[in-house]
Amino acid sequence: METNILHTHKELVEKSKSGDRNSQYQLYELYVNAMYNVSMRMLGIKEDAEDIVQDSFITAFKNLQSFRYECTFGSWLKRIVINKSINHLKLKKIALAPLENHEYYICEDINEPIENMDIHKIRAAIKMLPHGYKQIINLYLIEGYDHVEISEILSISGSTSKSQYHRAKKKLIQIINTL
Amino acid sequence: MDSFEKYIKDNKQQFDEHKVDSAKLWKGIESKLNPPGIKTRRLWQSPVFKVAAGILIIVGIFSLANPSVFSGINSSNQNDLVSQELNDIDTYYKGLVSFQVQLVKKSTKLQPEDKKEFLSFMEELDDEYLLLKEEMKENLNNEYILEAIIKNYKKRIELIENLLEQINLPKKANDHEGYIL
Repeated sequence: METNILHTHKELVEKSKSGDRNSQYQLYELYVNAMYNVSMRMLGIKEDAEDIVQDSFITAFKNLQSFRYECTFGSWLKRIVINKSINHLKLKKIALAPLENHEYYICEDINEPIENMDIHKIRAAIKMLPHGYKQIINLYLIEGYDHVEISEILSISGSTSKSQYHRAKKKLIQIINTL
Repeated sequence: MDSFEKYIKDNKQQFDEHKVDSAKLWKGIESKLNPPGIKTRRLWQSPVFKVAAGILIIVGIFSLANPSVFSGINSSNQNDLVSQELNDIDTYYKGLVSFQVQLVKKSTKLQPEDKKEFLSFMEELDDEYLLLKEEMKENLNNEYILEAIIKNYKKRIELIENLLEQINLPKKANDHEGYIL
């Protein structure tokens, strides 16, 4: 199934590389919603997310020649969206990851149990997190990046990424339990 | 991974809660992807074009670095002209010389010794001529060699003319003598 998806997309990607507008549109339709949600989770503002998605697709189509199937087209595109979203936040001077005391943080087990797991509650709770925590929760839990990748995206060390994630998760569970 | 993380990862899709106005966004994207770009981008980005441009650049740099190559192209053109000229000269003089040589060979009035001497001279000039032609191929000083070839031919003709004069001279002298007598 996976290879099949890769293969059909490869044809679209190849046609898009040669400038076929129809193939570009098909690729766009396949990914626009997912990319918009990625950007919305990072930025939280509809207009900003739309701009970033638009800009990302333009960048992707203009640089498609450099896409060499080292990963899926979706993850390549998502990385563009993530990077552009992060740059946007940097421009707005919004903290990407709170760094206070992280060096002295000792990873504790999160003992606090979650009373009842509900996706709506979790979604609401993530939105209530401080910006830095929200980014790392999004990147790790929802976008599925590992700490090495997150450290590259956010320009922080791997250990910082790990400690920040644990703090963020603790905070998130606390919020969920209050909802 | 604890149960909380697993729960979120298993329900990832439910975090895609937003719907986007894809038609509106596409308009913005399409307008920035240069509209007639399909053809122009293909031309500039086609590997054939890149290779052709690459060759052109290399040739350009090479000819700049080595002006002799460029002038070589000109001189080969010139070479064609020169060899054409040489051909013309050859056909003209060869005919003349061979005709006169035949005359000398057939002549009964000549001493065999004189004939031999004359023919050996002619052979010498022939060798010289071949040498000049070789040099011509090596593309030394074309004009100079061409001149030398013409001189070579002229010398042969001069030689033959002298010889013919010598043949005719005693005849005249004899006539003269006869007349005196």
